[in-house]
Amino acid sequence: MQQKMSRLQSSRGFLHSCSIARMGLGIALGLLSACGDSDRSADAAAKQGVLLLGNNTEVQSLDPHKATAVADGKVISALLEGLVRPDASDSEVVLPGMAKSWEQSADARVWTFHLREAEWSDGRPITSHDFSYAYQRLLHPKFGGRYAEMLYPLRGARAFNRGEIAWDQVGVRTPDDRTLILELEAPEPQLLRRLLHYTWYPLPAHHVEKAGGMLDRQSLWSRVENWVGNGAYVPREYRLNDHLSVVPNSHYWRANEVRNRGVRFLPIVNGYTETRMYFGGKLHISNNVPPEMLDYARCRAPGEFCRDAYYCTVFYRLNTARPPLDDVRVRRALSLALDRESLVQHVARGAGRAAYGFTPPTKDYPGVADVDLRNMPQQQREQMARELLAQAGFPGGRGFPTLQIMTTSRDVQRVMAESIQAMWVRTLGIHAEIRACEWTAYKAAQQNGEYDISSCSWSGDFLDPATFVELWQSEAGNNCTGWGSPICDARLAAARRAADPQQRLAHLAAAESEVLRSCPIIPLYWSERTYMKSPCVRGWHPLLLDNHPVDAVEVKPSL
Amino acid sequence: MIRYIARRVGQGLLALFALESLTFFLVRALPGNPFLGERKLPEHVLAQLNSLYGLDAGMGEQFWRYWKAILLHGDFGPSLVREGVQVSEIIAQAFPVSLELGCLAMLLAIVAGIPVGMLAAWRRNTRTDALLMFCAVAGICIPSFVLAPVLGITLGAHVPGLSVAGWDNPLCVLLPAVALGAVNAAYVARLTRAGMVEALSSDFVRTARAKGAGPGRILWVHALRIGLLPAVSYLGPAFAALITGSFVVESCFQVPGLGLHFVNATTDRDYFLIQGLVFCYGVLIVAANLAVDICQAWLNPRLRS
Repeated sequence: MQQKMSRLQSSRGFLHSCSIARMGLGIALGLLSACGDSDRSADAAAKQGVLLLGNNTEVQSLDPHKATAVADGKVISALLEGLVRPDASDSEVVLPGMAKSWEQSADARVWTFHLREAEWSDGRPITSHDFSYAYQRLLHPKFGGRYAEMLYPLRGARAFNRGEIAWDQVGVRTPDDRTLILELEAPEPQLLRRLLHYTWYPLPAHHVEKAGGMLDRQSLWSRVENWVGNGAYVPREYRLNDHLSVVPNSHYWRANEVRNRGVRFLPIVNGYTETRMYFGGKLHISNNVPPEMLDYARCRAPGEFCRDAYYCTVFYRLNTARPPLDDVRVRRALSLALDRESLVQHVARGAGRAAYGFTPPTKDYPGVADVDLRNMPQQQREQMARELLAQAGFPGGRGFPTLQIMTTSRDVQRVMAESIQAMWVRTLGIHAEIRACEWTAYKAAQQNGEYDISSCSWSGDFLDPATFVELWQSEAGNNCTGWGSPICDARLAAARRAADPQQRLAHLAAAESEVLRSCPIIPLYWSERTYMKSPCVRGWHPLLLDNHPVDAVEVKPSL
Repeated sequence: MIRYIARRVGQGLLALFALESLTFFLVRALPGNPFLGERKLPEHVLAQLNSLYGLDAGMGEQFWRYWKAILLHGDFGPSLVREGVQVSEIIAQAFPVSLELGCLAMLLAIVAGIPVGMLAAWRRNTRTDALLMFCAVAGICIPSFVLAPVLGITLGAHVPGLSVAGWDNPLCVLLPAVALGAVNAAYVARLTRAGMVEALSSDFVRTARAKGAGPGRILWVHALRIGLLPAVSYLGPAFAALITGSFVVESCFQVPGLGLHFVNATTDRDYFLIQGLVFCYGVLIVAANLAVDICQAWLNPRLRS
């Protein structure tokens, strides 16, 4: 060692670099010896009463008519308020928002809302015209609103959106500044739940007009520096891919009920990074713990790990236009051969419930189950699957073509596809290939019907089984399976006509039964949201739609 | 020398035009479009959006309009996904972050890589050489998606001042810079070693030794200038790549830099943003290569003629 050192020191240059290295090592050791907690911004924020919230992805826009992502909805709900607002602890409860009261006609086709006296964040009064203006803008054929169809329940909305009729023929009336009348195409007993969606929020007409007008898609009215809103918060600071900070809006009608002093939304796409950040004291509530980290998160902080039911179904679409998937026996065999309990336990790591129906069950819609699937033991299901495949002309899987399972590049989807691939080989003797596509290519292939089997999930925009069952109408844009049934279509049409809520749900259930009988889809599981929540957060309850009103969330330093 | 630089600049501009034009057509050849959502858009809405952003015109016309806007107004167009935000704004917000991170990573690559390479060459075929080159190979082989989280949960979670991820204090840049710089330091070390080994065994070094030059003078004055050439030609493009961000490191440390935009814009088919980012990257690559050419001409007099 001594000899080595002297050799190294023979050159002045090396002597110099050695001392630098020693100095660096010294600093590093010094830092490590002073080991303690690193920079924990969550503690500092808690002292100030500011909530640090993981929000999955960067928002597309704060303008509710340009936004389409789930992450956008969470931010927009903090900045704008509709006629009604969600309850902090129960997704099925709807509270008065901008409307202090309302009444509906006997057939639930005409709804009259009485607005409260409230102000925009610039002090101007909010009127019924702001609602009418917003609906006209989203539906305007020249605006190109991507979520315009959310307003299609309004009478004439679809025709106006296609440029076929004038706005005054659409069922939106404003008899005075405080009254808004919505006339609908069909009875809509669930309208209030629909109104929670941000597409039904008002816009500050005076401000949008000043910033370029109704049809200006490049309008800067919704930029942080120009923002005018009526929600509990106004945006303060925004940096793409970093954070969006909002602070309480002093003009909000319930300003004294806002229970924190601001929210910082962090767009963290990478679930691993987000979970590390949570444990590193950078977040109060994370958005998602990836399946691979569930056991770790549960063990490390059992009291902070949350697993909430979510209004979302994970399923496979089957392209019924392509043989042999055009044969219902084949589709059914593929469905019966899957051991859903095992998929939930081993792939989703327990974050879900095996689905034997499509719509996630709720209090008023317990859901429809494929009885064969639900009641049989797995061995019997597999036996039945083999028999069905043999009847379809593929005994033991002989002669069955190789199908392709299309997934996105997400790990959990790939692993799910591999498990399903193995189950089909083992049970039916058939082979499937996996094609992992990047996100946009996946969406394009699915919407153009360029796939055999596609790995999918669907979450409801509002709490109503129609958001799930209506997907399977023959002409629905999101059906994408090539399947359609006159029975299902008739039941869906009857549900749309029914003014009685119970009757409506019965029709929807019948339509769903028809879908499950024909198997254009294979429901796999109802997913659950897995995330972390700090003990310093109060007022955050499990919600099926994950539409938490953040103004009800309190942050206090934990003891 | 001026003619040499002028020729290089001309070639660079031509390359930039070819790069940008190729990108223009390639991104439009990808399946899907910027407005493709999880829900299928009604045809008339898609047609309206395409017309609003001029995507319904023929390819030739779109191409002409795009270049006209850049050359006459310096306008790279709007983001098609974050509507209301201009491409230039996105780049202006993210580039300083990537620049800061990239410069620090580069500094680290040079400060760690060159001395290590020199030491390894000086002690060639000894245990020191083997150990240093083992570390360099490890630095190249360990992917940043492993190194970055490991740095985060070890140093980031425990050392005061550092953080697991995020961009909310001035020291946040350190760990991403280490994760980004490590692989470049390893490459620089290997290239420096190779260059120095060759330089140290060349005739002019033997002549210098024969004239009685000491080891320090041989190393620093005679061999280093030539020995650094391979590393310098690597450093130029590497620098451009570093300051335009890295998706993996930015995603692991939640850094709001250009790397995230690069990947997300491609996935989202945000045509104008991809083109803007490629343009930015192209300019930097051309500039870095030009700087390398000038450096090499300065280091190696034979190139000047």
